[in-house]
Amino acid sequence: MASLGDVLARAKAEGRGTMLAYLMAGSVDDSRLLAAVDALRDAGVSGLELGFPFSDPMAEGPVIQRAAADALDRGTHWTNLFSLMRQISPHLPCAVMTYLNPVLQRGVGQALRSIRDAGGSALILPDLPVEEVGPFRALRRSAGVDTVLLASPATSGDRMRRLSEASEGFLYVVSRYGVTGASPGASPGAASAPLSGLLDQASRWRPGLPRMVGFGISRPADVRRMRAAGADGIIVGSAFQELLSGGAAVRKIGRLGESLVAALE
Amino acid sequence: MPEWYGPYGGAYVPETLVPALEELATAWTEARRDPGFRREFQRLAHDWGGRPTPLYFAENLSRELGGAQVYLKREDLLHGGAHKFNNALGQGLLARRLGKTRLIAETGAGQHGVATAMVGAKLSLETIVYMGTVDMERQKPNVLRMRLLGATVRPVDQGTRTLKDAINEALRDWITNVRSTHYLLGSAVGPHPFPSMVADFQSVIGREILRQSRALWGGPPDVTIACVGGGSNAIGTFHPLLRTRTQLVGVEAGGDGRRGSLGAASLGRGRPGVLHGMRTYLLQDREGQILPTESVAPGLDYAGVGPEHARLHDSGRVRYTTASDREALRAFHRLARTEGILPALESSHAVAEAIRLAPTLPKTQRIVVTLSGRGDKDLEEVERRGVPR
Repeated sequence: MASLGDVLARAKAEGRGTMLAYLMAGSVDDSRLLAAVDALRDAGVSGLELGFPFSDPMAEGPVIQRAAADALDRGTHWTNLFSLMRQISPHLPCAVMTYLNPVLQRGVGQALRSIRDAGGSALILPDLPVEEVGPFRALRRSAGVDTVLLASPATSGDRMRRLSEASEGFLYVVSRYGVTGASPGASPGAASAPLSGLLDQASRWRPGLPRMVGFGISRPADVRRMRAAGADGIIVGSAFQELLSGGAAVRKIGRLGESLVAALE
Repeated sequence: MPEWYGPYGGAYVPETLVPALEELATAWTEARRDPGFRREFQRLAHDWGGRPTPLYFAENLSRELGGAQVYLKREDLLHGGAHKFNNALGQGLLARRLGKTRLIAETGAGQHGVATAMVGAKLSLETIVYMGTVDMERQKPNVLRMRLLGATVRPVDQGTRTLKDAINEALRDWITNVRSTHYLLGSAVGPHPFPSMVADFQSVIGREILRQSRALWGGPPDVTIACVGGGSNAIGTFHPLLRTRTQLVGVEAGGDGRRGSLGAASLGRGRPGVLHGMRTYLLQDREGQILPTESVAPGLDYAGVGPEHARLHDSGRVRYTTASDREALRAFHRLARTEGILPALESSHAVAEAIRLAPTLPKTQRIVVTLSGRGDKDLEEVERRGVPR
């Protein structure tokens, strides 16, 4: 299986839009989560971000917060995440998304090697600033796992250069001021001029680096707006997790995936 | 203004907050050199807040203990009833200087929420305070005070429903509204520049102690004690005394004292990790999940601690110890009966250490305890646990 970064870079080179789905490991029975992943793969998603729960997820809205709490209540450990990832990664490129502390407590090197051994190819940590990414980058070659950095509408031109030069695999562009999940007040990229400016700046320094936009994307109209603003792809988490946690039929998750993938073009 | 205290501190935050933290650090560096800013801060601290606070000789308590003489730094007499005023005023003025129209804050015991609500009213800034529902239940008077001062209290029902979760919700609000809003963090915790900025605003406590002790007996205290949750009254007390010969003691919450209970003693029973934007000692499990804490004092009921305390712990300059819920409650009643002062349950932990220590020291020695707040907010909780006859 090609790495997530390679899959996204190839699609970008060919002008194809891509979508990543996010689901929280351990938030529901593994069999249900795996069925949802199959449905999303059939719908045409390019990769999966598997969430590892953290007790204090400061960048998450209510849906992912609840999913993390559910996963911890169900006794989710790293071994559960790696076991899921071993089953998914032969069929779909995988990344891990969590917070810094669980990775530090495992040890950065050990965490990256465990992700690689389970077939994962990227790690996303919303509370890892570019100033502290050094130890992760130093281990990239030996561990073979990309550390993805996040940019936001608040990012200045100077910082955007640092972020796009240091991010590996892709650049995660946060669509708006806010936490994850759709919120009535703030639609993603509501002020779409700043978002397209942000995406332009990101490609100035690393033209080949895919720019994936996430946070608050839940409808085909959001996807079309992100693509029009210049996003190479989109990331959808809370919308899928809400269906998964809420007990919706797996085919409903697949149908949402299809409608969002269709809106990429 | 240091960002790192040895390996502790830093600013581990989502990218959206980075520019706001940089802007805040710059504004604070400029403001502290601006005579106009300092004048206004000092005028309000004096006329509105009641600074300086007394250094009071607890004569009856000292006589009963029969050892070292115990003095109390009376931050409980400050406007609002706690040291939280010092920092809330400073950051409030800074928020106005930055052109922010909205203040948000977290609160555990409610004292920081009350101080922020007072400052919000005074400076005409919309104020929203996040408070865990467990804390709202056990600190009802402060919830009412905040509301009467015009603040909105937002209940936090996630996680452990205490201070840690209130900080999470405040951070989420800040990520969403960072352009209009200043996050008025109440303790010496969080990402840079909060720990050093809060320490700066609170250092007035230690400066006054040093000035007052020199006037009273011509030198620094022999021992200086403060309670430590996040650690803002303690760092404000310790900072100006670090270069003197005084022994410094920080008292963490020991909880109910049952075997295996962690209380909220991050330094005593935790290990380094990253939470709320800082690297520091944390109560956490093997995989880095933050553990629930428990203490009779909501203001100490926190799984982390300010990064400067982490360094002072490692270097040994400050000795950190714990007092159990029971010891704190006994200290509460003892101070009430000997000195006619009802201390906050947080501050009662520091008093408990003085009660343990004073009898072991000669009468020629002087102990200063920072009495960080008053206990009116705790009356219901104290009564519930049984008032001794």
